[in-house]
Amino acid sequence: MDPETFISKYEPKKMVAISLAVLAVALLIMGFNYIKTGSPVTLGVEFTGGTIITVPVVESEDELAAKLAAYPVLDIRDVGHRYMVQLGPMDDAEYKQLSELVDDEYQDPEIKYMGPVYSTRLQEQAKTYIPLSFLFMAVVVFLIFRTPFVALTIILSAFSDIMITAAAMDTVGVKLSLGTVAALLMLIGYSVDSNILLNNRVLKRKGKTEEKIQGAFRTGFAMTSTTFCAIFALFLVSAFSYLVSSSFTQINILFDISVVLLFGLLADLMNTWVMNANALRWYLASSKKATSRRQKR
Amino acid sequence: MTDITKDPRVIIFFVAVAAALIILAPIPSESGLHTRLKYGLDLEGGSWLQLKLQGAIVEPQVDPINILTKQFSDATGRDVEVDWRPESTDYQITVDGKASATMAEDLGYAQATVTPRGNATKITIPATPAGVIMNYLETSLDSDVKYLGSDPLSFEIRSNVTRDELEAILAQVGGTLVAGDAGFSEGVTEDTVDETKQVLDRKLNRLGLQDIKVRVVDNKFILIDLAGVSIADAQEIVGKPGVFEIRIQTTGNDSMHVLYGDQIVDVSLPQGDQSGNWGVPFTLSEEGALAFQKAAVDTGATKNRMDHDISMYLDEDEIFSAPLAQDLAASLEVAPMKNMVAQVGGDSQRAHELYIHLREGALPVNVEIIGSGQVTAALGSQFKKQVLIAGIMSILAVGLVIYFRYREPKIVIPMVATSFSEVLMMLALAALLKWQLDLASIAGIIAVIGTGVDHLVIITDELLYEGKMPSGKIYLARLSSAFGIIMAAAATTIVAMLPLFGMGFGAFKSFALITIAGVLIGVLIARPAYGRIIGSIMQPGE
Repeated sequence: MDPETFISKYEPKKMVAISLAVLAVALLIMGFNYIKTGSPVTLGVEFTGGTIITVPVVESEDELAAKLAAYPVLDIRDVGHRYMVQLGPMDDAEYKQLSELVDDEYQDPEIKYMGPVYSTRLQEQAKTYIPLSFLFMAVVVFLIFRTPFVALTIILSAFSDIMITAAAMDTVGVKLSLGTVAALLMLIGYSVDSNILLNNRVLKRKGKTEEKIQGAFRTGFAMTSTTFCAIFALFLVSAFSYLVSSSFTQINILFDISVVLLFGLLADLMNTWVMNANALRWYLASSKKATSRRQKR
Repeated sequence: MTDITKDPRVIIFFVAVAAALIILAPIPSESGLHTRLKYGLDLEGGSWLQLKLQGAIVEPQVDPINILTKQFSDATGRDVEVDWRPESTDYQITVDGKASATMAEDLGYAQATVTPRGNATKITIPATPAGVIMNYLETSLDSDVKYLGSDPLSFEIRSNVTRDELEAILAQVGGTLVAGDAGFSEGVTEDTVDETKQVLDRKLNRLGLQDIKVRVVDNKFILIDLAGVSIADAQEIVGKPGVFEIRIQTTGNDSMHVLYGDQIVDVSLPQGDQSGNWGVPFTLSEEGALAFQKAAVDTGATKNRMDHDISMYLDEDEIFSAPLAQDLAASLEVAPMKNMVAQVGGDSQRAHELYIHLREGALPVNVEIIGSGQVTAALGSQFKKQVLIAGIMSILAVGLVIYFRYREPKIVIPMVATSFSEVLMMLALAALLKWQLDLASIAGIIAVIGTGVDHLVIITDELLYEGKMPSGKIYLARLSSAFGIIMAAAATTIVAMLPLFGMGFGAFKSFALITIAGVLIGVLIARPAYGRIIGSIMQPGE
């Protein structure tokens, strides 16, 4: 079916209900994750503290593990011509020994250590800043759209974008890192783009609501698809460019950012065009009824 | 429609693009061409360290008399009586029976006078109440303590101590800490942070390292970026800046504290004499010179120098040990000496190490490494290549999508060109303001390419709402409606990014900066011009 007619074909209430159901599932997934790991989104090493090293693949995983046997290795993964090793807590002397060993044995090692002071601080900051960012966005939305119903649907849709994205991260195993937090904040800004377009078109133009929604959708879909493709290019390069050249490897931070933005864009497509577009239809239909009822009296 | 080449928006746009191209043009230098762009450590290679200064600012409530009573009765095992004599600013301690002449010294009280009085001994120590409390904190915590002020009475403890530990220590003498954060707050004073930063700055600069950034966050964290240095070396250089101490041998293997590195006011470059003996000249402060003389006289080193070696310690590791020089011993017998030379013999390398230790031993507080990392230059340049490919692919992908949407080169070409110009202007601004481009900020640029094109699509679709470009008033009304949407979207993006400035010691500051800059450049420079240009191109012939 043509997506343009799909968004305005069914009863608005049903479509809104479906979107809210997706949000509910997302919240459930995060709830489960909370019970399992103690955090709604699984925390990455920046938030838990620990050490990450990446070294070029010059031996088998077992050989590498044997070399690092004296250190608290938690996980070894092949990230494309390089191994990424995650290690647990170490004291200063051990860490220094490890960094010297890695520097001596391998060409171009990458090392990253996040101590408990750093990670606790980061956790606290994330707990403050993500809601703060959301609050800022909400204030701006309220200032632009003085109608509470409209402002609230936009904010709900942004909230749902973030929650669905976070649940998607849990599902595919992308952990919360500085990069993903940045991407989530960016998403907060992003997610209102298409909503503002939709509301502007539908509320400020004359004409049939359905047609205006469809027109807005054509523009909105083009917007989301250009952004999606730009980010998808980033995703491809960060995840798969190692297949093309042996000197390339996965770039975690870019991979994290791009995956989060891609999920966010998909969630936003649904929340804007399935939930908000139909919420608007519903709102306009009921306010029209209200005015015509008033006129009859 | 008027000639668009006279439109101020279009003129500003082209001037800005031209300026961007000039800024970004590669400049020839000795090592070939290079641009003005600055790269972050993850693209350039290098290491970083995040240090936490250990310390706390405390306000104890304790009676100095209790402290002295406890200290002297513990030392003698007998009852003591303590009197505070404000008129002469000293404490008088009466101990039953005899007391050793050095007891007060051993407990850390200088210039005490000990007078036997019949069955008792009177010890007079010139000290203020604050001085007694400070001494008690220093000895029981084995840490440097700095007196901050008397109203309220507060101290800076320069080591890792918890509130519970401190309260336990004060409880032994019937004292406590003031309730709440005023009584105990983690961190050190601004002065101490500055001092530490300066020492680190000097130390790194002297090693001839370029592009070092030492930043202070929240008065207790110091962040150091070292381009082109491995993490093992970086840690060696700054990770463990130590506490420097001079001690003097008392008897056998025992030694006593003479002074800390803060009493060394100047260190000169190592000098070698004709016979190839190397030494490091250094100068003590007045107080330091007095302490040194007193220690030398008290231990008997001035008379019997060979039995009382002078040792220097950095973080409790001995870095130097030698007896007093004969002439110095003789001079110390009569007066304090400020100028000394630490002789190391024929090893000039060792003299140089000692020189660094002596100079930098004065790091005022201990530090803890809370985060660190490294990316080598070769890996960084691989990343650079990869992100360049990602950027090019993004623009191509965007161009392709736009082509499928509009199938009209007259729209596609200006759109992609505008998007590309936004990237150029962002990079130029970054180069101009010396922002460091790191992996995160590249992701920001690519995300801005995505949103930027979104906005160009909004402008185009608003203008072409009825399938063709309107003219005159309708065109302007449509354009302003498009800008209403764009401005609102830009405003939300910017406010949502603001909190990133403070997160993770500013690790994503560059991401936030470049994203906000990109949004502003787009909204204020590129998109207004695009609106005019596309209007003019798509205008049906007049």
